[in-house]
Amino acid sequence: MSSAKPVPPNSTMIEFRDVHKYYGDYHALRGISGTIRAGEFFSLLGPSGCGKTTLLRTIAGFEGIDGGAVLIDGKDMARVAANKRPTNMVFQSYAIFPHMSVGENVGFGLRRDPRSAAEKARAVEDALEMVGLKGYGARAAHALSGGQRQRVALARALILKPKVLLLDEPLSALDKKMREHMQVELIKLQRQVGITFVLVTHDQEEALVMSDRIAVMFEGEIAQLADPETLYRRPNSKKVADFIGTMNFIPAVVIGETGGQIEVEAKGLGRALLDADQCPAGQGDSPMVGLRPETLTLMYPGQTTTERTVDGVIDEVIYFGDMTYYDVYLGGTDVEVRLSMRNTPGRPILEVGSKVDVAWSASALVLFR
Amino acid sequence: MKARGLRAYAIGYLIFLYAPIVLLPIFAFNDSRIIAFPLSGFTTNWFTEMWADRQLWQALRNSLVISGSTAVIATVLGVFGARASTRYSFPGKGGLVGLIMLPLVLPEMIVAMSLLVVLLAISVPLSIFTVILGHVLITTPFAVAILSSAFQSLDKSLEEAAYDLGEGPVSTFRLIILPLVAPGIISSLLICFTISLDEFIIAYFLAGADTVLSSYIYGQFRFPAKVPAMLALGTILVLVSVILLSIAEFFRRRGIAKTGGKDTGGFL
Repeated sequence: MSSAKPVPPNSTMIEFRDVHKYYGDYHALRGISGTIRAGEFFSLLGPSGCGKTTLLRTIAGFEGIDGGAVLIDGKDMARVAANKRPTNMVFQSYAIFPHMSVGENVGFGLRRDPRSAAEKARAVEDALEMVGLKGYGARAAHALSGGQRQRVALARALILKPKVLLLDEPLSALDKKMREHMQVELIKLQRQVGITFVLVTHDQEEALVMSDRIAVMFEGEIAQLADPETLYRRPNSKKVADFIGTMNFIPAVVIGETGGQIEVEAKGLGRALLDADQCPAGQGDSPMVGLRPETLTLMYPGQTTTERTVDGVIDEVIYFGDMTYYDVYLGGTDVEVRLSMRNTPGRPILEVGSKVDVAWSASALVLFR
Repeated sequence: MKARGLRAYAIGYLIFLYAPIVLLPIFAFNDSRIIAFPLSGFTTNWFTEMWADRQLWQALRNSLVISGSTAVIATVLGVFGARASTRYSFPGKGGLVGLIMLPLVLPEMIVAMSLLVVLLAISVPLSIFTVILGHVLITTPFAVAILSSAFQSLDKSLEEAAYDLGEGPVSTFRLIILPLVAPGIISSLLICFTISLDEFIIAYFLAGADTVLSSYIYGQFRFPAKVPAMLALGTILVLVSVILLSIAEFFRRRGIAKTGGKDTGGFL
């Protein structure tokens, strides 16, 4: 199944040019622009109703667009119907044909293939083997488990060797263990076949784990398009920061700019110098600095650090086994931050009301203004 | 006490409902032209007499043509109606579906009378074709109701998946939709057939010189000597009806099981 031609790095597979979509008066897609590279694992991430599934369906051809253009492999898809596009889809419900066997489902797309029946049967068997369902061809499709149905849906879509595989929340129907297992399998499968994968998900963790790049969407617009690390460490807005992981927001005042750096005074933390990449373009809100909980450390007695510290009082302790969450008041002010601390042997859980030093570093800050 | 009262009521109700039907086979095999107890012996003469009745055969043939045509036409219309009402939304849909379903509750008397008036006014000769017309009108709502539940339990992404895998609208309908709603179609055919076969008022009003089974039976009851043979015929009809409805229900349930839907209750 390694039919995918080697593609030049960073070549574009899908391009959105100012894509608009209306449902009656509702503006579902509000000028989407961006590119998906050939061979990458790309995710559309956002809360329900943000337009991510609509955008995926404009790639598949199930939704027409009311403005702009969608290009696949350099070709405008405006006049190309869904059944003629070089894309295949794994549906949220998997859409396994219940009146057919597993093999008939997987081989469905080969009906118009001129190859001989024996060759098609071999292709079906290969596709089933690829998703770990070797020998399942004769089984009735409606008797499969959720995980197996998903594999059948994958094999059925991949057997046509599409340029792009579209996945519409394929893991949301599975339980947690199965979901984590399938995440890893999907990543491996994508590397193996080299096909461009476009995944729709509302689960930020899933997107971070699986994707090469992620487009975060809110209300029909792409808020940020970046690789997972950039999204997590340098979110370009409070909204993105809040949607991906947990972020402490602390009121701050911008003091001034010196040599490309921006000096801020954050409540409870004090002054800090930030690089330009820590300060995304302004949003017009009152300024805030953002701080991921795990970039903060609670100092145990006798422990030293090269980072800056600030006094705090523990207000709440939530024990998770591998982690403990602490809500801490900083510097005796009303600023509360939530920290997650790894539990290690020899480090007791701190008690509510105890005073602690909290270590932080300016490089972990992001300024939103 | 309360439970016993309810039980007596339930038993009484069932006797009232089914005892007359049970009497049908009893007197059909009773060796007497008088329909009264005590029974006077076993005979199959009435079945033989019925079998030899040439007018009856003609009425039966008419009825089968009417019921068969009605079932096919109503079911085809039902497929269109059910598909439109479950898949598409358009202005005035609620009212339109309501109007399609209305004959379900409209007194047949009114349907029969108004059709008769219209047909006479535009001078269409009354025949089995006008009966088919009336029967299609009253059975189409049943077809739409049965087929809507079949179409409703279809996941829309099944069609999209077929489309995604390279099929066009026609082949998608043939390969995916039709096989999955086939149980509903069979069930609709059987129910429309049964309703049409039983129907009396419209058949009586609109058949003209042609006789159908229901009006023929009614006519024969005027001659006491003919009654036992009609009871024999009735016995056979009850048997055939039960078999047809059972098959219809079997297919309806299998259809729901196949598409993984939930059984929300059917006709039986």
